[in-house]
Amino acid sequence: MLAQKLHLLRHNVLSFVSSRTGSDLTRRQYDVIVVGGGHAGTEAAAAAARLGAETLLITQKIMTIGALSCNPSLGGVGKGQLVREVDALDGLCGRAGDSAGVHFSILNRSKGPAVWGPRAQLDRERYRQFIQSELLSTPRLTVLEGSVDELLVSQPNPEEPGHHRVTGIRLVDGSHPILSSSVVLTTGTFLSGSLFMGQTTSPGGRMGDAQSCAGLSYTLKETLGLRVGRLRTGTPPRIVKESVDLSLAQLQAPDKQPTPFSFLNTHTRCKPEEQLPCYLTHTTPGVERVVRESVHLNCHIQQDAKGPRYCPSIESRVLRFPGRRHQVWLEPEGLTSDLLYPQGLSMTMPPELQLRLLREIPALHRAEIRTPGYGVQYDFVCPTQLTPSLQVKSTQGLFLAGQINGTTGYEEAAAQGLWAGVNAGRTALSLPPMALSRTQSYIGVLIDDLVGRGVTEPYRMFTSRAEFRTYLRPDNADLRLTPRGFEEVGCVTLRRYKKAVSVRDGLQEALMALQSVALSSTRWREKLGNISLSENKSTTLNGLDLLQYKDVSFEMLASAFPECLSQYFEYSQRLKIEAVYRPHCEKQSREMERIRSEESLSLPSDMDYLSLPVSLSQEVREILDRVRPNTLGAATRLPGMTPAGIIHLLNYSNGNFHLGCGVPLGGSG
Amino acid sequence: MLPCSWGLWRSAIHTLKTFRASPSARGLCIPTRAVCDAETIFALSSGHGRCGVAVVRVSGPASSMVLRNMAGLTQALPPPRTALLRRITDPQSKELLDRGLVLWFKGPHSFTGEDSAEFHIHGGPAVITAVLQALGSLEGVRPAEAGEFTRRAFHAGKLGLTEVEGLGDLIHAETEAQRRQALRQMDGELGRLYQDWSYRLKRCLAHVEAFIDFSEDELIEDGVLNQVDSSVRQLETEIERHLKDERRGERLRTGVQVVIAGATNAGKSSLLNTLCQRPAAIVSPIAGTTRDIVETSLDIGGFPVLLSDTAGLRDSSDSVEREGVRRARQRVEQADLTLVVVDSTQLPPDPQLVAAFLQEHLSTVLPSPEAGMTAASDRVLLVLNKSDLVPEEQRERTEGELRERPGLPPACFLSCSTSTGLEDFLTVLQSRVKTLCGDPLSGAPSLTQARHRAHLQQSVQALNQYHQYRDQDLALAAEGVRLALTHLGRITGRVGAEEILDIIFRDFCIGK
Repeated sequence: MLAQKLHLLRHNVLSFVSSRTGSDLTRRQYDVIVVGGGHAGTEAAAAAARLGAETLLITQKIMTIGALSCNPSLGGVGKGQLVREVDALDGLCGRAGDSAGVHFSILNRSKGPAVWGPRAQLDRERYRQFIQSELLSTPRLTVLEGSVDELLVSQPNPEEPGHHRVTGIRLVDGSHPILSSSVVLTTGTFLSGSLFMGQTTSPGGRMGDAQSCAGLSYTLKETLGLRVGRLRTGTPPRIVKESVDLSLAQLQAPDKQPTPFSFLNTHTRCKPEEQLPCYLTHTTPGVERVVRESVHLNCHIQQDAKGPRYCPSIESRVLRFPGRRHQVWLEPEGLTSDLLYPQGLSMTMPPELQLRLLREIPALHRAEIRTPGYGVQYDFVCPTQLTPSLQVKSTQGLFLAGQINGTTGYEEAAAQGLWAGVNAGRTALSLPPMALSRTQSYIGVLIDDLVGRGVTEPYRMFTSRAEFRTYLRPDNADLRLTPRGFEEVGCVTLRRYKKAVSVRDGLQEALMALQSVALSSTRWREKLGNISLSENKSTTLNGLDLLQYKDVSFEMLASAFPECLSQYFEYSQRLKIEAVYRPHCEKQSREMERIRSEESLSLPSDMDYLSLPVSLSQEVREILDRVRPNTLGAATRLPGMTPAGIIHLLNYSNGNFHLGCGVPLGGSG
Repeated sequence: MLPCSWGLWRSAIHTLKTFRASPSARGLCIPTRAVCDAETIFALSSGHGRCGVAVVRVSGPASSMVLRNMAGLTQALPPPRTALLRRITDPQSKELLDRGLVLWFKGPHSFTGEDSAEFHIHGGPAVITAVLQALGSLEGVRPAEAGEFTRRAFHAGKLGLTEVEGLGDLIHAETEAQRRQALRQMDGELGRLYQDWSYRLKRCLAHVEAFIDFSEDELIEDGVLNQVDSSVRQLETEIERHLKDERRGERLRTGVQVVIAGATNAGKSSLLNTLCQRPAAIVSPIAGTTRDIVETSLDIGGFPVLLSDTAGLRDSSDSVEREGVRRARQRVEQADLTLVVVDSTQLPPDPQLVAAFLQEHLSTVLPSPEAGMTAASDRVLLVLNKSDLVPEEQRERTEGELRERPGLPPACFLSCSTSTGLEDFLTVLQSRVKTLCGDPLSGAPSLTQARHRAHLQQSVQALNQYHQYRDQDLALAAEGVRLALTHLGRITGRVGAEEILDIIFRDFCIGK
């Protein structure tokens, strides 16, 4: 009943204000409410609005929207791929990176284009400004400052799975509720967050910000009964730049020619010559001594919440690998900032000891700290309770993204935010949810890993997590995602779509042109000079075959056949990469197809695994019950799942097809 | 009829809307439609064990090429479905392998609907092995995975609804057979060798991946890759040497694996001795005498059988005996057939209570049901030993109670000391062994070898890719190691759940 009334109400309000944009705070009804203004929240809000949903972004402080809470950098190996994909789906972070970057470099340059890691040091101020101005000028998006006290839920829609349905939120000031069809929670480390420094502990999710909202935690845990776990992370002290003796550190120059993250950009805002360097230095035995002496004064590292194994605090590095030298990167915080960020020196000891520790490093022997490092412990919602659309299985319309799902990193947060925003928007617009395949994108890998396997430590993307790494490359993210992002998802603007289509067609033409030039290997040698071709003399090779060779570049071929190839100069790098990887990707296509089929089979979310009348061991039942895999693909990847178990499960589903969960029958498959 | 079963599958399993390749975008993407079953496969399709004629089946586009190459048919192929006596030769060495019948089936008029060929050859293991290896040496031809012929037949619409329904059971049976086979292999010397390779390969991959994902931020020296280079080279050498090793067959155990299990002092070792007619195991009346596995190979009804006696299953404080019990349980899990020996003097005197007693007893001896074994399974026989110590009248009434009792395996009264009941028991045992031997799933060793060879060869090829790209593109080099590990993983018996789904999805073409 209530649900129906609300539905009616929504229609009335919508028809009344549908043309309105901007920050009208009198409104009581939105399609999508996004809680949190970090990397996940901003992408979610922008994506939902792009989709056509009236969206409200609620954040504690408008000024901290788009703030980089930790390191002043974006991208890297694996993470750079995520940034390119978010950009390909018209997200914000790639363009923000291009606007704010002050030091661009492609990591892994020598290891093959599939694992190149586009990365940039950022100017914090410029990043924040870019994100804020983008959001404030996005149609259908309203930004509101406030703290959410309560998530409003009602009876579920009986035609869909779930025990609850989200209907909106109530703010801390106790005023009126704000209603919506879907809510995206991106509360980062603010869910029961505690800050640690030395022996002091205080509630909060980020130093200098308001406390976390206990009401929200309560709703999630008590009302919705979601299982939560606890994780920890930390941030290093910020150092006054002029107190550092940079002559004692090793200079790390950026790439001479910055490579933009965004497929829309041909150059970055920062000119090549304006880029700032980074510096590399190392820890000393003195650092280790200070850590050991301060252990008893350090609450954070004595707690047993799980921290990451990669990007650990200096304390855990030293304690785990004693007697070693550890790298410390001194990174600029921005063009006008007077601070340096010591990457690798995240620490939680008392401030006076932090200073002592820093000064054990030669380049930092006179260092002054502006703000000390600290640790954060926070609750996360076990992500196996989510569907591949990032909706909470038990609660219709409630989506989670970012650290609340147990991930770490801006890029991971942005990727989930975008996808949660897309699905929150789709739900509000009565469109079926969508999943991204792990064969098609790193975002798909990320979400599949989270919802399929859960996390035991903060989850970070690595290229080794992707089975189809040679296909999921940073160079082709636009071809993989942009056309469908426009045609099927609706989160890509026309301008970007047109651009991607023209690139796709251009590349296609260029590949055909390459294939059309065929010569014997002897003739190729004559044309191109001294190149080593393994084929014997009589074999005929086309341009694409030839481009696979290490020593052959597109430019060489274009100069040999200027009339048919020179017009494709702009694609020369992409063509080279495509030529090298294409044969390998084709070999993998069968495996990709298999995984896609598995992903397209969904298991009922309300299956009672514990009492299922089939032959399954108690152990397997418990795993299934705990994880509740969304698809058969996910079920097979569960540790401890036996082949026989899968068969029994299938046989059972086969005979009991009425147990359906109402996941819309979409895709032609 | 078929669409009906399709409907069941499709509605049972909802198709989740997946964001996937659209045809328009395919220009630079991977072709999404996989080439289904383009490979040519072969398998020994007659049962193994001693038989006069063995049938090797080949199916797939290269079948005619196979026939031309191996049966010396340089001119025309024989008319379809007509037997032709030919010399069967090794395509590489041209060495004569056997003289036998060859048949040609032009698709779609064949079991699988594809071009197919059959070789009817002499049934000796040496001939079978030689022919299978020769087939495996041909380009584009590989040993079939279990049940692959059936699946292709299904694809081609050659199976009726009943058979389609039976496919689920078949897959289950195959899985079980593969699992048992795998467990067995992992037990032996060969298993340890493969396991060691797999372990080393995993390390190599981990190091390459670490170098890719972390070397830019962390202190991972270039030396890591040099180590990988030499490890990979070492592995290649070892695998290649192994592939050339002609004595490999010796290490594989052959035959139906029959295990004797039961509580201590039920007379397991006496049963072994009775069956072997020689004292292979130490038999003594002290409970817990047999602490390790005693194995004997023997011939039952013309079929090779590997009979193992195990330690009595009881909780023991003796660490040696505990280990024996652990191995016994492991062995039962790997067995094709388990003879559960029960001391009849321990049976409840009231015959009506016997069935429940035995049920209870079996549950303590046999592994849990999801290991694929239930008390009702046709992989268990109950031997009620020491029947001479039970009053005749009680025995007869008990036999009457147990006859055709659902949920219980067949039970035979037997006295190992007087040999009473031995004949009846042997008849039951023989028919069981025969069924198992006639079942090509219970692990033909030569077929296993051919599969191993194929995977090992692919593994070595993949490792070549590592060297090829090592300095050019580390992502592609790493791909080589990943691939090598995948192939090795298929031998080490890790029948991953994915592989099973692989079968299911390909069979039912869901989501395409």
